[in-house]
Amino acid sequence: MLVIFEGTSQVETTVRAVLADILGLSADRVATFTADTPLFGALPELDSMAVASVLTELEDRLGILIEDDEIDGEMLETFGALVQFAAGKALV
Amino acid sequence: MTSLRFDTYDWPGGREAMLRFGPDTGPIVIAALPLFEEANRTRQFTCTILRALADHGIGSLLSDFPGTGESVVTTLDTKLSEQRRAYRALTQQLGVHSYALSIRSGALLDTDADLAGRWHLAPHTGSDLVRDLERTRAAASKSAREGEYAGNRLSPEMLAELQDAVPFEGGRYRVVRLNTDPRTADATYAGAPLWRRSEPSNDIAFAQQLAADISHWIASCEG
Repeated sequence: MLVIFEGTSQVETTVRAVLADILGLSADRVATFTADTPLFGALPELDSMAVASVLTELEDRLGILIEDDEIDGEMLETFGALVQFAAGKALV
Repeated sequence: MTSLRFDTYDWPGGREAMLRFGPDTGPIVIAALPLFEEANRTRQFTCTILRALADHGIGSLLSDFPGTGESVVTTLDTKLSEQRRAYRALTQQLGVHSYALSIRSGALLDTDADLAGRWHLAPHTGSDLVRDLERTRAAASKSAREGEYAGNRLSPEMLAELQDAVPFEGGRYRVVRLNTDPRTADATYAGAPLWRRSEPSNDIAFAQQLAADISHWIASCEG
């Protein structure tokens, strides 16, 4: 599996699994996601309600807390951006 | 096996509907869906668990509570304390050994009832539920009315009661979680968190595993 950032492979695996589970995407499809794969605005399944579910599920699985004022369009722009955001929370 | 039937029960604030599955004899499993949006996402899955329980010879019911399902009480007019009161009245009316099968925030409803045991799937605390509601509300901020959370209008009293609510873990208690959930559990299973999925879905294999787990657990409680 592609590792986007050093030391983040576990986080990346979790982000992939959460996107598959919450958005109802196949494992094959999320396996093709790269750092540049656009998310919000590009995946019709990822509407604003689904964003809330994805972030809350990431919190549960990674044991992190995401403050509402941290949620912006940038972190959801691409798969790489979401992994980087989650890794920044999980690996500190 | 007895087929699906429609039934009702009375509580001090009115009458609510329930679906009954499986035999009328023996212990009864009372299923409580999560509150609000997650109820839609888990209803079909829960019915699959209850049908599988009937195959194990265990009767069950899927009940409405004030402000849920077909209840004539609006979400704005209900409170957690009233839903707990209705749950207690339901167990009193049944008058048999009953076991809770509570999913997510459904685990906040069985706290005051006289039950032989409680089986919780991925139970949610009230404060976590309120946090989810607030986040969803923020995501839908452009269209939400005052006091509206993902389409549900809730009173300040309801939100205050939810904020302090936690599942009751005393007596015969079993908590089951997904294997992706790091929190403590008596058993974990592989499966998707259907309660968070954008579109309602089902997982028959997972439901059958859970029904077998519940069936074994009730046998051990009764034995």
